Amino acid sequence: MFLAAFTSTGPREVSRDATLLLRLLQKDVSAFEQLYDRHSRLVYGLVLRILQQASTSEEVVQDVFLQLWRNADQYDASRGPFLPWLCTVARNRALDHLRLKSERQRRREDQPDELPSVVVAPEYEKALDEKRRAERVRALMASLTPQQKKAIELAYFEGLSHSEIAATLKEPLGTVKSWIRNGLLRLKEGLQATT
Amino acid sequence: MKNCGQFRELLEPYALGALDPEDRTTIEAHLATGCPACAKAVEEARWLVSQLAYAAPEAVPSDMLKGRLMQTVRAEAQAAKPHVIPAKSAIPFWLWSAVAALLVFSIYSAWNTRRLENEIREANDRAAAFRSERQKTEEQLADAKREATIMMDPTSHRIALWGEHAHPETLEAKWHAQLGVCITGDKVPMPSANHVLQLWFIPKNKDAKPMPSAMVRPDASGKLMLYVSAPPQSMDDTKAIAITEEPAGGSGWPTTPVLWSGNVS
Repeated sequence: MFLAAFTSTGPREVSRDATLLLRLLQKDVSAFEQLYDRHSRLVYGLVLRILQQASTSEEVVQDVFLQLWRNADQYDASRGPFLPWLCTVARNRALDHLRLKSERQRRREDQPDELPSVVVAPEYEKALDEKRRAERVRALMASLTPQQKKAIELAYFEGLSHSEIAATLKEPLGTVKSWIRNGLLRLKEGLQATT
Repeated sequence: MKNCGQFRELLEPYALGALDPEDRTTIEAHLATGCPACAKAVEEARWLVSQLAYAAPEAVPSDMLKGRLMQTVRAEAQAAKPHVIPAKSAIPFWLWSAVAALLVFSIYSAWNTRRLENEIREANDRAAAFRSERQKTEEQLADAKREATIMMDPTSHRIALWGEHAHPETLEAKWHAQLGVCITGDKVPMPSANHVLQLWFIPKNKDAKPMPSAMVRPDASGKLMLYVSAPPQSMDDTKAIAITEEPAGGSGWPTTPVLWSGNVS
């Protein structure tokens, strides 16, 4: 059932997450606390990077972990690793908060609050512990051209679309699309080479 | 219908959430057809995008955040626990045992206290009886000593009591001025049932009445011993002493003829 979870990050870490998630389904408070201690820095760093405001970021992180506590059964551990899924939940929550007063968010508020689908690890993914993975991703991001990096950051951390990024950077839409696609492909190649 | 190659360049931006509405609608429509290659490519793109979380610098949330979270989680976990009525009594077994032991001890203590009180009461009764017996013995011993003294003391005045009628036996009386009168005799006939032999002091004054004194019954062998420690009058005022048979308890005046009598002076 948890085979997928064993193929995404370091085997020991994933095994630990899988064990804690099993206990979390039994409403084990201690398991929840250990999951929080293991991943709250990464989740909070991501949310803070998006929202740029500590108190608001803590509110979002609190919502994310409470959702994990209350709806842990919605995470299908058989289909993907836990931490990428948790980060996806946190990013979506933070971006929703960022867009709270926007027209797009007002439309989304009519939709049910659903958790994102699982994040399936690709076949080339091999075990890397969290620290080495972070170092590798940051190194790869630093290796991108400044335009590629900026465009991807605007999309990922600020939730902007191609046209919004083009407007922000005052660059042609096609150019922005190329920066983003080429930058992501370079990241993918870099991670494949690493693993 | 477009082929998959037309969508490939949209898959990573779609996973990133960067597509404008028109492009997003196009790719979602294609994915809805169930294209397995594009579905797999989207999954890989989502994983790739998820790795961008590591691009954000790690940050440490405040301890207050964890405190609030854990408080909420613990409260919800506690509320989710089923309220099971304990099968066992709220009073633990050891407490029942202690109460039972205390009850047994109390009953034993009450029983033991009552037993000890009875033993003390019986001991007090025996001690009182012993003291009474000892006092009686001491009094008898003192009387015996006085009687012996009276009988042996040369200053005692000897009086012979001669029998009248059917009582030929002679009794002997000795009167000591300080210790009293002692009368002895052998083979004395037993008085009738419910009757005693009563001693009388006959005053010298002819107008005075006989003065009643002590009563006695001889023992089974006929031996008689009568002691009067405080005669009703002095030896000088007494003419004679006499003995009659009177009803048990004695009489204030002789009701039968004199059985023995003797002159004092």
